[in-house]
Amino acid sequence: MTRDAFIARLKQGLTGMPDKARSDIVTDYESHFTDGLAAGRSESYIAAALGDPDRLARELRAEAGLKRWESERNPEAAAAAVFAVLGLGAIDVLVLLPILIGVVSTIFAFFLLAVGGFIFGAVMLIASPFAHHDTGPWAHMLFGLGLMALSVANASILTLVSIGLVNALVWYGRLHYRLLKPAIDPQPTAAREVAAS
Amino acid sequence: MPEAIDIQLKKGALDLCVLALLSRGDNYAYEIASRLAEAIGMGEGTIYPLMRRMQGEGQVETYLVESSAGPPRKYYRLTDAGRKSLAAQKDAWRAFAGSVQAILGDD
Repeated sequence: MTRDAFIARLKQGLTGMPDKARSDIVTDYESHFTDGLAAGRSESYIAAALGDPDRLARELRAEAGLKRWESERNPEAAAAAVFAVLGLGAIDVLVLLPILIGVVSTIFAFFLLAVGGFIFGAVMLIASPFAHHDTGPWAHMLFGLGLMALSVANASILTLVSIGLVNALVWYGRLHYRLLKPAIDPQPTAAREVAAS
Repeated sequence: MPEAIDIQLKKGALDLCVLALLSRGDNYAYEIASRLAEAIGMGEGTIYPLMRRMQGEGQVETYLVESSAGPPRKYYRLTDAGRKSLAAQKDAWRAFAGSVQAILGDD
């Protein structure tokens, strides 16, 4: 692969990243080619040693998504992290998808239950003094208050579970990096690919 | 999928090696990459995300140096935090390597 082809595919793969980050990355690899050529290596050898640019771009984007989750813990960043891991396109991550959908739906259902319980509890708390009861308003008000507390506890536990789940997914996703943190001997592979092309 | 033990060892030692190289003098990414590719068989493209991360963590900083041919070159140097991290990782590595060696024995 030529330098231009490598850079073009890398750029293409990084579409959607912030411009600054994208141009920084591209500049790094551009200068890698410049330095490599100055050291007397061929463009195709350098490209082969760097690895597949599409794969590289996928992993760089994934890492950016995972980083974001680590610096800002909010639902948006969590979603970005999940998509980043799925974006790696590793087969066993995709196998994980149906399970993931099940787990996410369950968590979402419990969240709805928590919100519903909270609102119902609040309504009971406020409305019971005005309603007619056999047991008197206090029992209902306490019940409403209890329901609200239970819902808040439920929501907190769910939040913790969700954070733990995303963290586990981030860890799992990083196991799938082949180019970013592989340290696998690249020289024989590079030589083979050059020989084959 | 279990990884070969040498790959795991290299992954763990990569940060340490980069810091150690930079402690002997400022350098640019291509040079670091090719030194480490030769010495421990590290993937060459690996160096850029790694340097980016280290820069984000404040262990290294960059400056540009004009070069006679082509665009200015980006050099990396250790920060104080990077030097501290290197010292800590060195101690940890030596202690670990020593323990492993003790278990392995002489053969």
